Amino acid sequence: MLSIRTLILSTVISVFLIGGVSPRAFADTFVFTAIPDEDEARLRERFNKVADYLSKELGVKTEYVPVKSYAAAVTAFRNNQVQLAWFGGLSGVRARILVPDSEAIAQGYEDQAFVTYFIAHASTGLKSSLEFPKGMAGRTFTFGSKGSTSGRLMPEYYVRRNFKNAPGEIFTRVGFSGNHVKTIALVQSGAYQVGAVNFKVWENELKSGNIDPAKVSIIWETPPYPDYQWTIRGDVDKRWKPGFKQRVGEVLLGMKDPELLASFPRKSFIPAKNSDYQPILDVAKQIKLID
Amino acid sequence: MNVLFRLNNENLGYDGAAVLRGISITVAAGERLALVGESGAGKSTLLSVLQNRYDGNTALIPQDPGLVRSLSVFHNVYMGGLHRHSAAYNLLNLIWPRQREIERIRPIVERLGLGDKLFERAGELSGGQQQRTAICRAILQGGDAVLGDEPVSAADNHQSRIILAALGEAFETIILAMHDVDLALEFSTRIIGIKDGGIALDAPAGELVRSDLDFLYRT
Amino acid sequence: MTAAPTISAPTTPRYSAVVKTSVGFVAVAAVCLAFADISITTLDPWSEMKRMAWGVLTPDFSAVAGLGMVVMQTIAFALSGVALGAVGGFLLSQVFHLGPVRWICASVRAIHELFWALIFMQMLGLSPLTGVLAIAIPYAGICAKVYAETLEEAHLPALRILPRGTGILSAFFFARLPDVWVHIKNYTSYRFECGLRSSAVLGFIGLPTLGFHLETAFSEGSYSEAAALMIIFYLLIATLRYWMRPKLVGIYVLAAPFLLGGGAVIEMSNIVRFLTVDIVPAPLRGAALLDGQTWDNLGHWAGTLLIDQALPGMVATLLLSQIALVATGVLALALFPLISEKFFGPVVRTVGHGFLVIMRSTPEFILAYVFLQLWGPSMLPAIVALSLHNGAIIGHLMGRFSDEVRLRPDSPGGINLYGFEILPRVYGQFLAFLFYRWEVIMRETAILGILGIATLGFFVDSALADIRLDRAMFLIAVMVAVNVAVDSLSRHIRKRLRLDARAREA
Repeated sequence: MLSIRTLILSTVISVFLIGGVSPRAFADTFVFTAIPDEDEARLRERFNKVADYLSKELGVKTEYVPVKSYAAAVTAFRNNQVQLAWFGGLSGVRARILVPDSEAIAQGYEDQAFVTYFIAHASTGLKSSLEFPKGMAGRTFTFGSKGSTSGRLMPEYYVRRNFKNAPGEIFTRVGFSGNHVKTIALVQSGAYQVGAVNFKVWENELKSGNIDPAKVSIIWETPPYPDYQWTIRGDVDKRWKPGFKQRVGEVLLGMKDPELLASFPRKSFIPAKNSDYQPILDVAKQIKLID
Repeated sequence: MNVLFRLNNENLGYDGAAVLRGISITVAAGERLALVGESGAGKSTLLSVLQNRYDGNTALIPQDPGLVRSLSVFHNVYMGGLHRHSAAYNLLNLIWPRQREIERIRPIVERLGLGDKLFERAGELSGGQQQRTAICRAILQGGDAVLGDEPVSAADNHQSRIILAALGEAFETIILAMHDVDLALEFSTRIIGIKDGGIALDAPAGELVRSDLDFLYRT
Repeated sequence: MTAAPTISAPTTPRYSAVVKTSVGFVAVAAVCLAFADISITTLDPWSEMKRMAWGVLTPDFSAVAGLGMVVMQTIAFALSGVALGAVGGFLLSQVFHLGPVRWICASVRAIHELFWALIFMQMLGLSPLTGVLAIAIPYAGICAKVYAETLEEAHLPALRILPRGTGILSAFFFARLPDVWVHIKNYTSYRFECGLRSSAVLGFIGLPTLGFHLETAFSEGSYSEAAALMIIFYLLIATLRYWMRPKLVGIYVLAAPFLLGGGAVIEMSNIVRFLTVDIVPAPLRGAALLDGQTWDNLGHWAGTLLIDQALPGMVATLLLSQIALVATGVLALALFPLISEKFFGPVVRTVGHGFLVIMRSTPEFILAYVFLQLWGPSMLPAIVALSLHNGAIIGHLMGRFSDEVRLRPDSPGGINLYGFEILPRVYGQFLAFLFYRWEVIMRETAILGILGIATLGFFVDSALADIRLDRAMFLIAVMVAVNVAVDSLSRHIRKRLRLDARAREA
């Protein structure tokens, strides 16, 4: 009988503890996240460094929280559980619709003109071209994450525009690899014949020697579009101190450590504003990813 | 005469199927009734009808002793007094038995030879011990009468006398179904014999000898 | 001399309802198989398999930073969730006879823990409460049902002897609860084992349990690390009875909240917004409710969703779960002799036990994830994962059951023993286990959509990825409906075939 008592009593107490005790730890910390577009270990290494940098420059304890999906990043931002995020074009647009006062404050130099590479396995015989490669039809195709700009939104947009049809109708199988590194691995292994990948990640993987050019190669690149950016919530000034938002922007733009920049990989960070991403919103509405 | 139970030419049974027909019985306070007859004759049926009809408090000792097997002897006996306390006090005793309750229950179980089993689980006791636990519970419960279905079936002669004596002190009115005819004659003031779905004998015990009851067991 | 009248024997054998039902299910599965998308799409599955095997042989326990804490948190989530679910389920079981309560319980348990977590994530973010509630809520629904059935079936003679005037509470705690407590306790500790699996899987969507690191390790191809994590998980389950002592439960449950880890701050406004805005179908938000156009829009919204997503998702879910159900059955029938004393000696049985323990301890989700890495996306990884896991569970129960069968001394051996003596005796129980598992397989099938197989879960996941929570909730509602329907069909078949319901732990 003892255990009935203990179980009920301790559960009741626990309920209060779960609700009450644990969340406190985070209250005064400035928290940010990033969309999980690459391997987690790499993201952790990069953003923990960013967190240290921000802590030092802002004089506020800053922490990076990894998430498992693009949607989780947007939701965390929306729910004020992170106040700053390294978003892609699409996730940033979504986040800023959901959090009205939020602002894009900085983007990578390369993000002004980002592109997506369409890549194909050697066995397809598809070759690099300037024209949109219509020979993809009837193959298997993988996007990156469902919420990715370079891995989903833009490639789907160009597929729809050129084939006048949905990807599901054109390809024999359509998958979502989850992130860009996996997209490359899947096409390289032949699990999918064609894929769409963030050009920065591709170049990074190429440099690291993870790509075998005999197996997988670029067949097309999209026209440029704006992509990644740092987005911050509008209510941070109220929560920390007046001018905090501006200070965060300055600190991000002032990130000069070549090693840290190389890990993104970006040449430098430059100012950004919400209207820079109008093209992304338009495209997302066109292919009905945003109502 | 203070009548506790009265049945007037009634058919008794389960689910509409009558086991006993045309039963008329009146039991007055202070009587000690023994119901005798072959097993299956309808003694249990009669007992449960009497118990269900009675408005006041009666204690019941069913044949299946009606114990909670995973609770201790103490708790099973304590259950006889559930109606006297608040739910909170009962739950308190379920978890931490109060000294006061232990002292109340201890003499009852000691008298019936269960003193050393007070905090043992009822399910781990022998059949006879379980039966005596049920009797202790009935004694603690008290009430205007006790109705027992073969309460001494698993006890030897010596124990049976102790049990019956204890019941006799605790209750003014007693109705027991019994299979031991000698014991029934010795203990009770009135014998009811049941046979062929009816009452075949109803007489003061003092007027009967053993052979008067033999016909009840003849087929 | 007149010949004795002869009764002519029927010329064709007659089959029992049990056999007919079984054949029916196999036939349906065969038809499903024809429509299912089954293929190995990776060009070289062997090299990946070799790397995985190598990882298993070289587990690397140093790779996971703070492994101890991860294990603690996995246990803490399971404990808090199951304790809350069990207490909630217990309270619900007291009113389980009420129709609405039964329906609510059936609905909440039709939604998998992973989906509950995704739902709560919208309201509470990655706070520990998300994980705890994700386990507690469906478990409350399951426990309510099982506890209610246990209480109902119990033989409780002590109820007869209660003195008149005994209060309801006293009667319940003295005469009713104690004798069913042991069943409730056993079932709850079985649930705790399930809770550990659920807790681990929740890591895949971001909670700080084993699954978090497992997902990272698998997706980065660090199979040595993944193997280390899996080994730890198996050890955790295998040693359960040594550290999960009844006397310590209270201390554990009290300690658990402190181990759940930090999380996000919970804001009431997020919860209110989720309930009053996010899940309201888009055409109704801010629209004039008296305007006919609004309702036309809603009809269009629901119609499109139904035809484009719900129906295809439903078809794939049903297809996949039918195939997986039959494959589970076949596998269970093939596997159980491995652990049965009637067929094999201690060496084979030990190996058999080892295999079954590993397969049933590994959550389907993780198995499917692994096979997906190996074979690429199609229904194949899902079918294999579901049937291995569930087949191992049923095989284990059948093996135990078959050991109880008494054989005559001159009974045959080997395949004849299997076919003529054992199988006919255990088949009813087998079907009971299998049908009990049907609903679970269905729920798992839906969840595998998260991995990219186009079941209902795929569309739910897509809607969540688009932050279209109204669509996600609509699709989840469809999922609940399908699940509840399958559950009642299964109950109907079990009743019609008079299958023993001692199958709860299946």
